[in-house]
Amino acid sequence: MLQKKICLLGAFSVGKTSLIQRYVSSLFDDKYLTTVGVKIDKKVVELADQKMMLMIWDLAGEDDYNSLKLNHLRGASGYILVVDGTRPKSLEVALEIHRLAQEALVDAAFLIAVNKADLQDQWMLTEQDIDGLKSLGTVVLTSAKSGDNVESLFTELAMGML
Amino acid sequence: MKNLAAAILGQLEKVALSYSESEGFSLVGITQPWFEEIWGKQFPTDLAGCSGYLDNFLIDAIEHWQKGDNTSLSSGPFIESVSFKSELPLEAQAISVEGHSVLVLTNLGESYEQRLELLQAARQNLLTQEQLEIEVSKRTATIREREFEISGRLIYASGFRDEETGAHIRRIGMYSAAMGKALGWSQFAIDDILSAAPMHDIGKIGIPDTILKKPGRLTTDEFVVMKNHPSIGGQILGGSDSDMIRMAAEIAECHHECWDGSGYPKGLKGDEIPIAARIVSIVDVYDALVHSRVYKPAFSEPEALAIMAEQVGSKYDPELFQVFLDNLQAMRDIRAEVVD
Repeated sequence: MLQKKICLLGAFSVGKTSLIQRYVSSLFDDKYLTTVGVKIDKKVVELADQKMMLMIWDLAGEDDYNSLKLNHLRGASGYILVVDGTRPKSLEVALEIHRLAQEALVDAAFLIAVNKADLQDQWMLTEQDIDGLKSLGTVVLTSAKSGDNVESLFTELAMGML
Repeated sequence: MKNLAAAILGQLEKVALSYSESEGFSLVGITQPWFEEIWGKQFPTDLAGCSGYLDNFLIDAIEHWQKGDNTSLSSGPFIESVSFKSELPLEAQAISVEGHSVLVLTNLGESYEQRLELLQAARQNLLTQEQLEIEVSKRTATIREREFEISGRLIYASGFRDEETGAHIRRIGMYSAAMGKALGWSQFAIDDILSAAPMHDIGKIGIPDTILKKPGRLTTDEFVVMKNHPSIGGQILGGSDSDMIRMAAEIAECHHECWDGSGYPKGLKGDEIPIAARIVSIVDVYDALVHSRVYKPAFSEPEALAIMAEQVGSKYDPELFQVFLDNLQAMRDIRAEVVD
């Protein structure tokens, strides 16, 4: 079976672990539990005529205490850049991480998940911010809480890595 | 001693593996229950495929061993699944001991939980700080909106006495903002001058109607009275804590000052004149010249610029005038957008 490594990247507390939990285990916990280090989950995604094993690397979020280790990206065929719609600072961090990831992973597929779509009335990102993200790549509005667009996020990335 | 070393490793929840290119990995000392739970009793000599994380770390580890570096290379924490339900936090270290390449795996156990708790608390603090910053910026935006609204109403009120059109006043703000942008000002300062510049003639509300609304030329005495309007404007707007109103006060008081010190009311010279006022003195005259008034027709832009050019260095700041010329297209766009 085809096997691909993907990474979830973004600032801390944007919902990277929640997106993975929702996708892999169909679970969601409202409580914020920080990630320390790296955890790898696996899930088989069924595409049109083949199956693909996704090795999903959940990397601890970027903040004052933790910065992205580029060797964690080694061998990744794709990544999901996660932004929290309620936190403008997470956009700044995401843009910087994207720049680093683009340098490290030249041909990798990527998608941008603007997460916490269930809190859209509290979003602090402007339409200009979203347009700016769209100019970088495909933007998917996700909610790990409701599950909106989570499955399609990973499937679309998998398709992009074929 | 060998047994003691093994016991110490066991006590510290560590398992050491020796590595050689030809034989792969072999256990040094004793194994640990958690280690066997993950990798079984017969530990594979080839670790490839056993752990996605270790596979990746070993690339760096082998490079580290080849360098013969005496320091330790740490993988950082990673979570390894033991079964469907349980996971273990581990950390790997690549070290070189007496020419041997050694991989030490540590079950972080409680220290991981402690690290998790510390980081959790630290990140909660960061989140709270971010939320406070957002709240402060929201409230600042509300305060500024109110400042701008009040300044707009003040300008509207003064319009009942001043002959200047609303379009002229709006353009002055926009030209000034374009100048601020060209000068690399912050968005805050640009927004300030956009609202402050239209209040440059607010002091005219203190000039008697007989003079302010007099058709034809003013007598010398009347002109003396008229020349009080910058001071009156400064008094109306002065003493505020708001950056925007302070800028408006400077503009109102100093927009008739001249670069060579020949202006009024204080006869300030050069950089003594606040930059916002120097900007407004340029754009105010430009706009007045290129538009018609009851007492004069509109000059063409080249004619207006020629008139103004004669006063560069005497009335106008030469550097700012050059910035104005460099951004003439932006000024034309504003004229086209806001018509009388």
